[in-house]
Amino acid sequence: MGKVMEGVRVLEVAQFTFVPAAGAILADWGADVIKIEHPKRGDTQRGFLNMGGVQLDPLRHTLMEHPNRGKRSVGLDFTSAQGQELLYELARQCDVFLTNYLPHQRQKYKFDLEHIRAANPDIIYARGSAWGDKGPERDVGGFDGTAFWSRSGIADCFSPPELDGPLSQGMQAFGDSIGGMFIAGGISAALYHREKTGEAKELDVSLLSTANWASGANLAQAMETGVITRNTMPQSGSASKNPFMGNFRTSDGRTINLCLVSPTGLIADTFAHVGRPEAANDPRFADVLSLVENARAASDILVEAFAQKPFAYWREHLRTMKGQWAPILTLLELVEEEQVKANDHVIEVEAADGGKPLKLVRGPVQWDHEPLETTRAPQAAEHTELVLMEMGIEWDRIEQLKSDGAIA
Amino acid sequence: MKPGTRLKSTVCTTEVMVIRAGQGTIECGGKPMAEAAQPEGEPDAAHAGGTLIGKRYIDAAETFELLCVKPGKGSLAVDGVPMSTKDAKPLPASD
Repeated sequence: MGKVMEGVRVLEVAQFTFVPAAGAILADWGADVIKIEHPKRGDTQRGFLNMGGVQLDPLRHTLMEHPNRGKRSVGLDFTSAQGQELLYELARQCDVFLTNYLPHQRQKYKFDLEHIRAANPDIIYARGSAWGDKGPERDVGGFDGTAFWSRSGIADCFSPPELDGPLSQGMQAFGDSIGGMFIAGGISAALYHREKTGEAKELDVSLLSTANWASGANLAQAMETGVITRNTMPQSGSASKNPFMGNFRTSDGRTINLCLVSPTGLIADTFAHVGRPEAANDPRFADVLSLVENARAASDILVEAFAQKPFAYWREHLRTMKGQWAPILTLLELVEEEQVKANDHVIEVEAADGGKPLKLVRGPVQWDHEPLETTRAPQAAEHTELVLMEMGIEWDRIEQLKSDGAIA
Repeated sequence: MKPGTRLKSTVCTTEVMVIRAGQGTIECGGKPMAEAAQPEGEPDAAHAGGTLIGKRYIDAAETFELLCVKPGKGSLAVDGVPMSTKDAKPLPASD
């Protein structure tokens, strides 16, 4: 069943998407992930009820579900001494401690590395941050909109210089979701290392390091050449030296992307598929070098050809084309795609309101070709008593902690 | 009522775990809940708001706290007084 993390227990003291998403990936993989939430407020993200101008139902809260499915929630007040003591008791029985609280908060509430390691010297301590756990800004917070998108150079590269200003991220939790997977990868390696050597590591992933890795190819080229490669304005036709690279508008205003990075052997096939087979006999396009020299003329032929037929025609007709291409789809078109269905990208979990199942997206790794089965995200503090009893806390103490407000 | 006890509705599929209980009768759909029950009939119309899985239900004085482990059509009450959900009160936020 692909539950490769079965037997691993993760203690997550984290909010929002980036770091919880790492817990979600590990939960997808079979880990027992215990999410600590504030006893009264819960994860601050539970209050994000207006996303992209859409009002969300707290019982069908997709932004909570995406990074928290498959977990159990314990309401625990780590600002109290009793709550801290309980947190250490839980940490003793966990393999991984996962947090995105800022350094001064980890110190103040006594769950920084030294406090958690005092409770459990063998625990892997994983931190997610905005800017990294070293340097003058280690204690400064951030979201993916700031750290992943804005400061990283990504916004600048995505935005054509002709625009009035940079584009915004435009995709909820985009950097968070990518970065969460990076943390999960790091934790997996740390678990392997501990298994082999007995040594427990601490590890860091920041939203900025996530961005820098994701843009690493472009960033390396910029550092090497001093030239920053930025996006170009949308147009029908290639803006490159390779006419088979670019977006082409169809007769009904939709777009087909061609991405024939290496056109060798594909020139005749490409011209034939767009209905201009005669262009392959044009000496200007006889081979890749001459094609590049006459890129504009070749691109113009494609632009004219694509504009003759509608999107649906091209989607069907280009299926046999040898070169790489894709339709530009919307998110809701995407989930209807046969390929997406065949690879189980969408999962369903029971919804907390008892209504139709919630559709979520599985993590990018698939085990043994099997679809993912998991459960919905917990309600805030849904599993407090169950988890604490499982961890050996007696009921009398649970009652006491509850009446003292240390748990909910 | 011992904490940890599981109670079933006699009129719908609702099941709860008792977290805390004071003096009084725990009801679902207008009928007392029981440890062993085969639901029959329908919830009383005045107590048919339904239960939500994973939610905690409390009375006004918080002497009772129930955790819904299986949802149903009936709603929960103590001695006829409806219970309410104990919800997290997150800070307001927006993207």
